[in-house]
Amino acid sequence: MPIRVCDLLSIEKVNTTIPMKKQFIVAFIALISFTTPFITRAQTAEKQATIKVSGEVTTPLTIDAAYLQKFTPTTVVRKDRDGNDHTYTGVTVAEILKSAGVTLGPELKGENLTKYLAVEASDGYQVIFALAELDKAFTDRAIILATTVDGKSLAPGDGPYRIIVQDEKKPARCIKQVTAMSVHFIK
Amino acid sequence: MLKRTRQYKPLKKLPVGKGRIVLVLLFFAVALSGWGYLSNGVETGTYNLAYPANFGNRINIPADNPTTKQGVYLGRMLFYEPKLSATNTVSCANCHKQEKAFTDGLPFSKGIDEVLTTRSSMSLANLLWARKFFWDGRATGLEVQAMVPLTNPHEMGQSLEISAKKLSKAPGYPALFKLVYGDKKITGDRIVKAISQFERTLISSNSRYDKYLNNTYKPTAEEMDGMLLFNSDPQPEIGIRGANCAHCHGGVKNYMELFHNNGLDSIPKDAGIAEFTGLATDEGRFKVPTLRNIALTAPYMHDGRFKTLDEVLDHYSEHIQESAGLSTFLRNESNEPGGTSLKLEYYEKKEIIAFLNMLTDSTFITDPAFADPRLRPAQHRKS
Ligand code: HEC
Ligand code: HEC
Repeated sequence: MPIRVCDLLSIEKVNTTIPMKKQFIVAFIALISFTTPFITRAQTAEKQATIKVSGEVTTPLTIDAAYLQKFTPTTVVRKDRDGNDHTYTGVTVAEILKSAGVTLGPELKGENLTKYLAVEASDGYQVIFALAELDKAFTDRAIILATTVDGKSLAPGDGPYRIIVQDEKKPARCIKQVTAMSVHFIK
Repeated sequence: MLKRTRQYKPLKKLPVGKGRIVLVLLFFAVALSGWGYLSNGVETGTYNLAYPANFGNRINIPADNPTTKQGVYLGRMLFYEPKLSATNTVSCANCHKQEKAFTDGLPFSKGIDEVLTTRSSMSLANLLWARKFFWDGRATGLEVQAMVPLTNPHEMGQSLEISAKKLSKAPGYPALFKLVYGDKKITGDRIVKAISQFERTLISSNSRYDKYLNNTYKPTAEEMDGMLLFNSDPQPEIGIRGANCAHCHGGVKNYMELFHNNGLDSIPKDAGIAEFTGLATDEGRFKVPTLRNIALTAPYMHDGRFKTLDEVLDHYSEHIQESAGLSTFLRNESNEPGGTSLKLEYYEKKEIIAFLNMLTDSTFITDPAFADPRLRPAQHRKS
């Protein structure tokens, strides 16, 4: 079924009483809601996952595999639910945040200690880390954004990006399928 | 354990000099509260959103749309207002009926014409805590959500501009809009804001499960066993049986705002959130819907494919379909070593269903404050 012109026209008529910015949101949502059944599934296959880095940063980033290449890889060994050790390789989360201009290192003091990193997964699951948990000057415990396990890419249900928290007993913050990282002040 | 936004402190002994000031203040307070009962008996003032403390305060109210008693009343009028549709026959309540926890009992719903909705109607309960709306979470607030059914050509099929015009001519509405917004102007923005205020008051917190958490209800043995299965991971190696439901449906509100593929199809007809993320791993991923009042909201799933909870349990127990998007929480989760589906016993399914029935809140579906105000008098939730 094609998108019918009348569907699109009615979007325009709809919004004449709403302020401009809202018009776009409405038009967008309406458009999605009218067109979703018509979008073919062929488009969906090849796209690569990315991670948005936002919030209290000087440079918002959209991270992909190529971007991660510029950092030195770090390795963390961690027991999984099966009780066996697994070797994860990736990039220290602090390094990624530094490249976005987050206040780590010498700047992590005073009110900056009330900042936290919120990590979100593709299923909407969220966990947080205090910035101080991520900083080498505070702790030797490594928190990395892993891309491989035991030398292989992460399983599709776990990756392509997963946070691995060294030595943390529960796996709940080893969040899988990461899609966003944002830094905020506590309210 | 109810949270209150207003607190009345008892008047204590006052120093003599301050007595007069207090009297003056009291006079003003009484005069002001008189305003609380303006035109046609509609109460005004801040709406007290009462809910149990264990629901938490991560609620979602936009700064430009605070919840007021008059706003909620107007929203309730509008929720039940067929004039908001092109044919004057369809209101929100056609597809969201209170007695069915605001669903409509159909796999797909009919609006103003013969074209059915592409997905099944959703229950409207505890939306105050939700941040993403629709089966694919594409609407980021109630206000923008409401614009979709209002203007969708097959649901209510009327532009907000025409809706505003029609209401301006309908008796009662201009005065109500004035009460809520300070002047008689009726706009699409004001319509969706009022509807959203009403939706935020649809709080369900009086099921047997809530009472159990509150230590005022003792579950039956069957309900207890069902609850345990619902909350446990199956570990056949050490003889622990489980159904693992809480991974996605857990928590005191029976809702966690997650998006998963629960193994309905190996090739999903409806791609779910993959339609806008474009990722293979998002294929067939949908909002994990609330299980609150689940016994009242059949048929089940985004396409209403299951008529009964027995069919739902059979699905999780025996028919999980493998695909790229299948949630890891449902992969290799089984009560049999090496199994790919849960493999629950017949009586275990019944126990889980007994637990699911504990989530029915009969107060919610009979509360006059949520019903059509044309049929019931102007009334607010007393709590
Ligand atoms: C013709 C039937 C129909 C009408 C009329 C209708 N809805 Fe719905 N509603 C649905 C369907 C179907 C869905 C799920 C659609 C989807 O996910 O794409 C839904 C979803 C919703 C949701 C999302 C709930 C959640 O948990 O994400 C809300 C909120 C809602 N409707 C409110 C309203 C309001 C307010 C109105 C009136 C302005 C309304 N609906 C009118 C059928 C209807
Ligand atoms: C991986 C997460 C996950 C797990 C685990 C899970 N579910 Fe679900 N459940 C979902 C999703 C997602 C949907 C909606 C799927 C759809 O419509 O495409 C759903 C839908 C349902 C529905 C229908 C809701 C409605 O309003 O239509 C019921 C009932 C249900 N699940 C019960 C259970 C029970 C009982 C268990 C445990 C045996 C369970 N679920 C385990 C994710 C999960």
